[in-house]
Amino acid sequence: MRAAARWTQAHLTAHRPAAVLTALATAGITISLLLATALFAYAADPWQRAFTQSSGAHVWIHTQGGAPAGSLAGLDEVRATSGPFRTVRTTASLQPGDSRATLELRGAAKRPATAAPQIVAGRWLDAHTDAGADAGATQGIVLESSVARAMWAKPGDTIVLSGFAAHLRVVGVADTAEVTFRAGETPGVAWVLPATLDASDAGRDERGRTIGLQLGDPADTDYVVQRAVTRLGADQITDVSTWRQAKAAAEGGNQLLGRLLGLFGLGALLAAALAVGGAISTRIRGHLRDISILKAIGFTPGQVVRMFVALHLGLALLGVALGALLTQVVGTLVPGRIGEAMALWRQLPGHAWLTLVISGGVVAFIGAATCLAAWRAGRVPPVPVARAATAAGGRASALTRRALGLRVPPALVLGWRGAFHRPLRSSAAVARLAVPLLLITIALGAWTTLDRFTSHPENVGLPAALTARSDTLDDRELRQLLGSQREMTAYPGAEVQALVPGQTGTITLRGLGTDARPYPGAVVEGRAAHGPDEAVAGQGLLDLLDARVGDWVRMTVAGRPHVLHIVGRSIETSDGGRVVSTTLDTLREGAGDDAAPRADAPPRPDFYQLVLRPGADPDSARESLSKASGGRLEVRETPNPADQLSAVRAVSVGLIAVLTLIGLVELATTVGAGVRDRSRDLLALRAVGLTPRQITAVIVSATAFITLAAALAGTTLGVLASQWLINLQGRASGWGAGIAQRPAPGILLLVIVVAVLIAATAAVLPAARAARRRLADSATDLL
Amino acid sequence: MNRDEPSGPIVRAAGLVKTHRPEGAAPVHAVRGVDLSIERGEFVALTGPSGAGKSTLLHLLGGLDRPDSGSLWLDGRQVDAYSEARWAMLRRNHIGVVFQFFNLVSNLTVADNVELPALLAGRSPRQARTDRAELLDELGLTGKENSTPGELSGGEQQRVALARALVNTPSLLLADEPAGSLDSKGTKEVLRLLARFHQRGQTILLVTHDARMASAADRVISFFDGQVVDDAHLGDAPKRPAAGVADVLKLKG
Repeated sequence: MRAAARWTQAHLTAHRPAAVLTALATAGITISLLLATALFAYAADPWQRAFTQSSGAHVWIHTQGGAPAGSLAGLDEVRATSGPFRTVRTTASLQPGDSRATLELRGAAKRPATAAPQIVAGRWLDAHTDAGADAGATQGIVLESSVARAMWAKPGDTIVLSGFAAHLRVVGVADTAEVTFRAGETPGVAWVLPATLDASDAGRDERGRTIGLQLGDPADTDYVVQRAVTRLGADQITDVSTWRQAKAAAEGGNQLLGRLLGLFGLGALLAAALAVGGAISTRIRGHLRDISILKAIGFTPGQVVRMFVALHLGLALLGVALGALLTQVVGTLVPGRIGEAMALWRQLPGHAWLTLVISGGVVAFIGAATCLAAWRAGRVPPVPVARAATAAGGRASALTRRALGLRVPPALVLGWRGAFHRPLRSSAAVARLAVPLLLITIALGAWTTLDRFTSHPENVGLPAALTARSDTLDDRELRQLLGSQREMTAYPGAEVQALVPGQTGTITLRGLGTDARPYPGAVVEGRAAHGPDEAVAGQGLLDLLDARVGDWVRMTVAGRPHVLHIVGRSIETSDGGRVVSTTLDTLREGAGDDAAPRADAPPRPDFYQLVLRPGADPDSARESLSKASGGRLEVRETPNPADQLSAVRAVSVGLIAVLTLIGLVELATTVGAGVRDRSRDLLALRAVGLTPRQITAVIVSATAFITLAAALAGTTLGVLASQWLINLQGRASGWGAGIAQRPAPGILLLVIVVAVLIAATAAVLPAARAARRRLADSATDLL
Repeated sequence: MNRDEPSGPIVRAAGLVKTHRPEGAAPVHAVRGVDLSIERGEFVALTGPSGAGKSTLLHLLGGLDRPDSGSLWLDGRQVDAYSEARWAMLRRNHIGVVFQFFNLVSNLTVADNVELPALLAGRSPRQARTDRAELLDELGLTGKENSTPGELSGGEQQRVALARALVNTPSLLLADEPAGSLDSKGTKEVLRLLARFHQRGQTILLVTHDARMASAADRVISFFDGQVVDDAHLGDAPKRPAAGVADVLKLKG
């Protein structure tokens, strides 16, 4: 013990800069991983983010009008309440189609503190202007964003609700963390002033109360629901919804994001572990002679292993602790999205656990790498043999000799040979450097895929930038108006919800384009739908029905059956890919397939998808349309999932930064090992007649060749891996394989060139110092 | 090893065989069936041309390498089947080794280098320090406690190595070409020190190809091609003035 302590102490003193650097590198890697996790948590689960930011309620209880809902605030598990609000159930007519939306209007004078609606457009209710007391002023209403989207409403529009004599004016749109609105399934939420509620002529059946309960421990949800039912009485309670339902409903569209980010995180952890592990094993390899001396003196192999493990594990623990501490203390002060993400992450559930897991993971990986290296060190023979005698040699290959003959600079040739002379060792070095580059390429692939969504949406199933519909114009006029616009092509469309056998939820059945003018969707497998009863499905639907391209699928729309032949698969980014697209004619044929006589004129399409000419600006097109129609046309932009995925861009940048740091650590290791290996040949090289500058060039070119090989391997494998991985994630999330896009060759070339340049620069100083070292005057220097 | 029983040889080897098998080359039979016995207090020199296998034999006797076959007894205990860990513990307390290339731990000071075996053997730091100070004094190295090996000359480094080997008063001192990297002054110093310790009763096995070093020993074993070819006790022959090197070895026909 004492001897081990003495040796460890002396070793640390002698190698203090290297030890400090290792600890700092480990701290840096830990900090990057923690910040990256915060970003992931921020970006991957928007529902959780909304819940935390709005200080959401875990349980919503909807009761009859007279129930004492406020008494639930007294429950022990309840930390805070939202409401209780007086509510009125009402319906609004919903376009497109003739379905009606059920809304629950809550009376709230000011924005509640718990489960606070986050305003995304317009403003909250104002007690003075929105009460409708003055003549000419209408009563105001704030809609929840999913309701507003379904009703095509924005601030300033007026809506008609049953039970209200006057129209209500939308003053704002807000986001909540409650279950999103789905026509026919879940009622939507809207807020009005209490005075507005009183003025409505809704009956007692339609009046009720709603209270939101925020719990101290989310796991108590079921228990609290039971308590509430017991306390209020089951007959008083009309509906209960929990945060779990809301989370499940919201999760549908965000799977791809979450998966991609999870993948990135895992990759970064792996790369970090490899880097630090490689650094440690290389350093241990440099001490082999010392190890055999220690064994000759009388250290047992077990003692040697334990000493090294304790030393490096101690440094790792120090680095990780430092990194975690710094992140906790300073993390929120970082400007920009990272600081926000850190602040949010603190409040998210599972925060402390995740921090421990990441710190523990880094230490565990480093420990494993150290144990492996130390075990190998323990097997070193106790005979301190001159290492020069044991290095495997070999004649210079014919290629090397020819190169020297052709007057290729000898430094380059020797560098090449030095880099690739020992295949096993050099492939290990190349592999270690290639991993961060591979991951960087995957991150670039994700970025490029995202770019494809924004710059070429037609390739990912979003050819139409705008959607238009009108209440006031009749179909013929509308078609005329749209046809007269030269920079766009209009495709009529309709969308209905359909039921499929074996599923409780609905899928979306969309009819776009006509047989004469088919819609330009992105069909990646099979072919587009041409004839009658043919359709194209998204991956999500195929997974749901366990079907393949070529199968016949039966579904029910409003009680009427449709049978469709799936002839192709397209990329569907909405509704988790559970969409079937066919032509409008097929949709109408199916709809008209009953005993009722068909009307003379075919029913009008619900909306028109407008595909703009390439290069046309959507905003100016929209303006010219509203001008031409005199304001009777409603045009809105088709939502592009790239907005949802924009977090991936920020995360990609962060990830590339982390990986660059890891790559630099690897590079330092490689440079150190290269310099040490070449130093042994220093005398020989000088005797042969190489100048110190040439010797420096030998070392630098050896490092550069290794980096070049690593960069080529990393980028090539990375391109293949990125396509495969992104398509895999796309398929798993229901959007469908085929979304991945390769990074441009120019970018990859840039990555390779930058990597080699950085490697060469990093190697110059240590190489120059090694080349100019004084000649060894005793044999011990060479061993 | 128990010093209370002075009977029996300190080292007894029977039929030691060791073959090196380097990658891609023919096997080298370094030690071919060597029988050897060293008594307590003897100063034995092992000579022979380079490549004869002397260093390998020394490594086998010190447990730094394992014999392919044969038996080895150290102070009555059979040690040829010992594991590496047990050998290490044996070496700590009972065997000191000095190498041609000094083999000091490069990042430890002279003091630490010498104290390390003492600490390993379980002595307290204070005691280790006292022992070290004494030994360095004896070897003429006072004042160099805090230097690193890189700052010392070859002769000084070898003396430090000697101090390290002797700090635990081992029963057996193994010296592998101790003057191989030294100039004539250093060689003389090393010889003088070895003789001094031998006079105090230290058992020494010296491997050397230098006949002059070999002549300082009591007994010279000649080694050639892995086998012992001669085993002569010096001191039997009448002392002749200006005796040459050639007279040391008498080849039996």
